[in-house]
Amino acid sequence: MLKQKLFKISMYVVATFVLIIVCVPILWMIISAFKSRSEVLPTELKIFPSVWHFDNFTKVFKKYYDIDFVSSYGSTFMVSIAGMILSLVVNSMAGYAFARIDFPLKKFFWAYVIFQMFIPGISILITSIKVCSVMGMMNTFLVLVLPGVANGYNVFYFRQFFLSMPRSYEEAASLDGLGRFGIYLKIFIPMAVTPLIIIGASVFMGYWNSYLWPSLTVTSNIELKQIMQVLLVLRTRYRSDYGVVVAGTIISVTGPLVIFAIAQKYIVQGITISGIK
Amino acid sequence: MVKAKRWNETKKRDAAAGLLMILPCVLFMTVFVMIPLVFALYRSLLDYRVYSDVQEWVGLKNYIQILSTELFMDSFKNVLLLTAFIVLLMVIFGFFFAHVLKNLPEKVSNTVKVIIYIPGLISGMAASIIFLFLTNYSGGLINGILSALNKDIIAFDREGIWPYISIIFPSLWLGFGYNCLVLYAGLLNIPKTYYEAAALDGASAWDRLWHITLPNMKNYFVLIIVNLVASNMQMFEIPLMMTGGGPLLKTYTPVLYVYNSYRDNAATQSLTIAAAVLIMIPIALVNLIVFKVIKSEKSSDD
Repeated sequence: MLKQKLFKISMYVVATFVLIIVCVPILWMIISAFKSRSEVLPTELKIFPSVWHFDNFTKVFKKYYDIDFVSSYGSTFMVSIAGMILSLVVNSMAGYAFARIDFPLKKFFWAYVIFQMFIPGISILITSIKVCSVMGMMNTFLVLVLPGVANGYNVFYFRQFFLSMPRSYEEAASLDGLGRFGIYLKIFIPMAVTPLIIIGASVFMGYWNSYLWPSLTVTSNIELKQIMQVLLVLRTRYRSDYGVVVAGTIISVTGPLVIFAIAQKYIVQGITISGIK
Repeated sequence: MVKAKRWNETKKRDAAAGLLMILPCVLFMTVFVMIPLVFALYRSLLDYRVYSDVQEWVGLKNYIQILSTELFMDSFKNVLLLTAFIVLLMVIFGFFFAHVLKNLPEKVSNTVKVIIYIPGLISGMAASIIFLFLTNYSGGLINGILSALNKDIIAFDREGIWPYISIIFPSLWLGFGYNCLVLYAGLLNIPKTYYEAAALDGASAWDRLWHITLPNMKNYFVLIIVNLVASNMQMFEIPLMMTGGGPLLKTYTPVLYVYNSYRDNAATQSLTIAAAVLIMIPIALVNLIVFKVIKSEKSSDD
């Protein structure tokens, strides 16, 4: 009995310890964002600010010749949403076709899709930039959205999901006179809400959090600069006024946080049930 | 007759619909993956001068040269070392904490699951800024606590093993929630009856771990290990921000190498492309394993 109790207590102790490690960096950021310039990186440790300031946040929104936080936040949001929608349409449609339709060269095209999974982004980074610049896409909205749309892993997961649905769905629908697109749109998509939300959230975060690709393809268009690029500029500019960098970082996390708040139940359950993201 | 004709027509219509539905996906993949890939392989075999527009077929010369470039090879060793530590620690901590989650009351564990997932939403860039702030030399939280305790403060970006830790720790912090949840899923999927049977046989905790838990979670381990290897072999933002590849290029990574030489040396671009192509080999091999596992998992489900 005592042993069991000790075991239970030790579980709580470990869980508390892990929660502290996970939360302290985030809480420290939030508190520090309200500190004045002299308190944010103090010589003597003090946890809470003597006066809660909001200057750091107003400074984040200030426009400069090379960055504009507000329009970057907006364009990052637009890029992430556009990328997410396109990606869900393109990959789920392909996943449906591979799962449920017989068409010529199916094996070849399936191998073609799987092959993409083996190519790491870094290996084709430089030549992708070349391809995009030949197409005149540099410093445009398109260069941020289009290259990330098709994704072998996502096609794979949609296919797996659609494979698990019973044949009778299609038979009933084709009796109703629905064509293939109709079946996909009216029957399969409404059944696929969970994978759509899980994959959609992960695609959104992938776009929102990317730095390497935008940093090389959007160099001259200030309004299109993505939020992670802006963070780096803020960090260089406010090296001695770190509260501003901290405030900017907090605002930059709000995009994925909102998506997670909406999709949280599906994501955590989805991973726990199937082990996929 | 009529029936056969109609069947034929449906088949034709299906063929058209199927091809049409995969078309956008195939098109995107061709333009943004296959063409750049073929182009990269082609360019890596050329001596291409950006400014003079001279092109000369040099075969594998670029590859031989990059394999004898010390900086690139060292960056490979660095990233292997960092990845090995990250994978090892993530698997151990994740596995351990998955057990903790399983033993907590459901209400508590549900909240804990959501909280530990939150760092996974943060980008490498934002996480680096958070940890740079914590590890700041003269005013960061960690050194603040150390000096309040009258201990020596630490220069995280250049002292002893701290540069490695400043890369490994944020990487663990970012990925812990997701990987732990995957292992937790694996743990839940082991039928309870296995353990009950083992208890009847009088198996020790060690036996149960060794003969039931670990073998039954094999696929979950392989999946997260392979994912972690592929993503950490390409680590970029965290080393860029936390150490800048230093001190003395000890934390320089292959992606940093490609990024920097692409930006700084336009003249030797063919060489940089050869380096980028070489990074593909270990990652593709690792992806091959994950694919084999997914396939075998699928067939065992059927």
